[in-house]
Amino acid sequence: MPDSTRGSRNTRPVWLLVALLLAVAIAVPLLVPLYDRATPTFLGFPFFYWFQFMLIPIASVLTYTAFKLSQAATRHDRAARGQKPPAGERGGVS
Amino acid sequence: MTDVDPIALAVFLFFFLLVTVLGFLAAKWRRGDTLDSLDEWGLGGRGFGTFIAWFLIGGDIYTAYTFIAVPALLYAGSVVGFFAVPYTIVLYPIIFIFLPRLWSVSHRHGYVTPADFIRGRFDSRPLALAVAVTGILATMPYIALQLVGIQVVLEVMGIGGAEDASWFVKDIPLFLAFAILAAYTYASGLRAPALIAFVKDTLIYLVIIVAVFYLPTQLGGWDSIFAAASDSFDAFNTENADAIAAGEVSGKGAIPPGAAHWAYASLALGSALALFMYPHSLTGVLATKNRSVIRRNAALLPAYSFLLGLLALLGFAAIAAGITVDNPQQAVPALFESQFPGWFAGIAFAAIAIGALVPAAIMSIAAANLWTRNVYKAFLKPDATPAQEAKQSKLMSLLVKFGALFFVLGLPLELAINLQLLGGVWILQTFPAIVFGLYTRWFHRHALFAGWAVGMIYGTWTAYNVPAVGDPDSHFGSPVATVPFLDIDIYIALTAFVFNVLVALAGTLLLNAMNVDGGGDLTSPDDYKADAGDVGVKDLPLDEMAPGEVAKGTP
Repeated sequence: MPDSTRGSRNTRPVWLLVALLLAVAIAVPLLVPLYDRATPTFLGFPFFYWFQFMLIPIASVLTYTAFKLSQAATRHDRAARGQKPPAGERGGVS
Repeated sequence: MTDVDPIALAVFLFFFLLVTVLGFLAAKWRRGDTLDSLDEWGLGGRGFGTFIAWFLIGGDIYTAYTFIAVPALLYAGSVVGFFAVPYTIVLYPIIFIFLPRLWSVSHRHGYVTPADFIRGRFDSRPLALAVAVTGILATMPYIALQLVGIQVVLEVMGIGGAEDASWFVKDIPLFLAFAILAAYTYASGLRAPALIAFVKDTLIYLVIIVAVFYLPTQLGGWDSIFAAASDSFDAFNTENADAIAAGEVSGKGAIPPGAAHWAYASLALGSALALFMYPHSLTGVLATKNRSVIRRNAALLPAYSFLLGLLALLGFAAIAAGITVDNPQQAVPALFESQFPGWFAGIAFAAIAIGALVPAAIMSIAAANLWTRNVYKAFLKPDATPAQEAKQSKLMSLLVKFGALFFVLGLPLELAINLQLLGGVWILQTFPAIVFGLYTRWFHRHALFAGWAVGMIYGTWTAYNVPAVGDPDSHFGSPVATVPFLDIDIYIALTAFVFNVLVALAGTLLLNAMNVDGGGDLTSPDDYKADAGDVGVKDLPLDEMAPGEVAKGTP
């Protein structure tokens, strides 16, 4: 994780990355043609079903990464505005 | 439908009464405590560690929607039946984006409902009223779904009339479900749901774990469950090939064919966009202690989608177990009855019924309080006394439940999930004003109102005109309809939403060109980024809105 020494530098690229991660997590589950088939099966589950189950942890990791990035970006943005760190991080590890 | 199993019934009654009485007594016992402690207990488990908070949130997610309505779709062979899984996947990245802004502006200005925000942001009483009324209306079919959940449990236990009985006798389980809900809400009020959470959630998890891990092994494993479902659907399609070709019967399947892709994706997306517009969902979000909690939870909550997906597949498990019920909503309760000894079936029935009852009570209270705050006090009686407000809330809570009863009786109930999806058609029309409003004040208040009106009218009219398959004279038969000018079938909520947005865009350009007064704005840009502890950020009086174990995103 980036630390606070980065100071007030522009966080726009970080926010774009956050948007990209979330866009992937939202778009892929909605692209039904990607997974509308029965094979290959896995542990007895047709592809259609196990693929969607697999998307759950993937979306979760993408969202968690977005959360961590957004937290860092928010910290920088707030520092740049002369505000305290975000509420969840005051007084130690969140 | 079947004989009453006395053991199952006794166990059901025992747990059901235990939880209700416990909640009632606990509510009385804790009444001396400060509101703060109740608040902490009830709203999102603020004072709890992560694990317990998770446990409590999960208990809220498994309602009649997950236990009854979604498995029923799969049991019935609906090709879009599994859409609830992508729905709960895309839900969390979506709320990650906009809910923190709503948290911030609400905490700066003391907003506890979306209508409060609209009033402050757009300086428009009609738009705020529209948002409030839509919230109340859309909650009714959602409560109706929970009523159906209790109803089918009672039916499978053998309470109520046979198929050939008069309509009244046949509907006894429904009236019982209604009476239980009304009594429960009245007696336990807002406090009990939070206090019974541990008992309720333990029951629910016990049943889920046994159902999704033990049951499949009894039925030969998942591969034979999928094979049984697939064989059953193939046999049905072959047998009814002519009727399917004639459009009198829907073909069945386990995987959406090309023609149903749009329906599948749009049901998932529309449901996800709609969920946090409901009055009961939002309270839980606002109750979080700072704005980053929403984002962290958005990353953690998908774990529940896994169990939801496995629960959905119980619809196929019921087919594999040879369950044949005319009402697909009975599939899961009937599965439990056939596969488990009476005592465990009784526990499962109690878990499903309580899992439907608690969210139904919370939803009706949230809708009633929305009425009192944003309609009664805002328009009808600004100087109402607290006693008058409380009376309004109680009355409205009852009316909302009657509304739900009306939906159960008045709509074709082939698939109960259509009730919730109809609610989605309405509530999604408040999305442009609320969510776009979080980012920009560009939209004209009257254009947003016009967009809302167009979306509501188009959505309601289109839903009304969709007959159930095989019954051309019926209405509200499906949540999916063909989009005008295009040859694709899409969830009506999304089509109406698109018209809504187009009208809002065009209307804004037009009204701005005509220099029509756009009204003021009580919020400022930094309100949308404020965090706990910042200047002007205050605690919200959420305990009056929908306390108790607030549904933090109950699908």
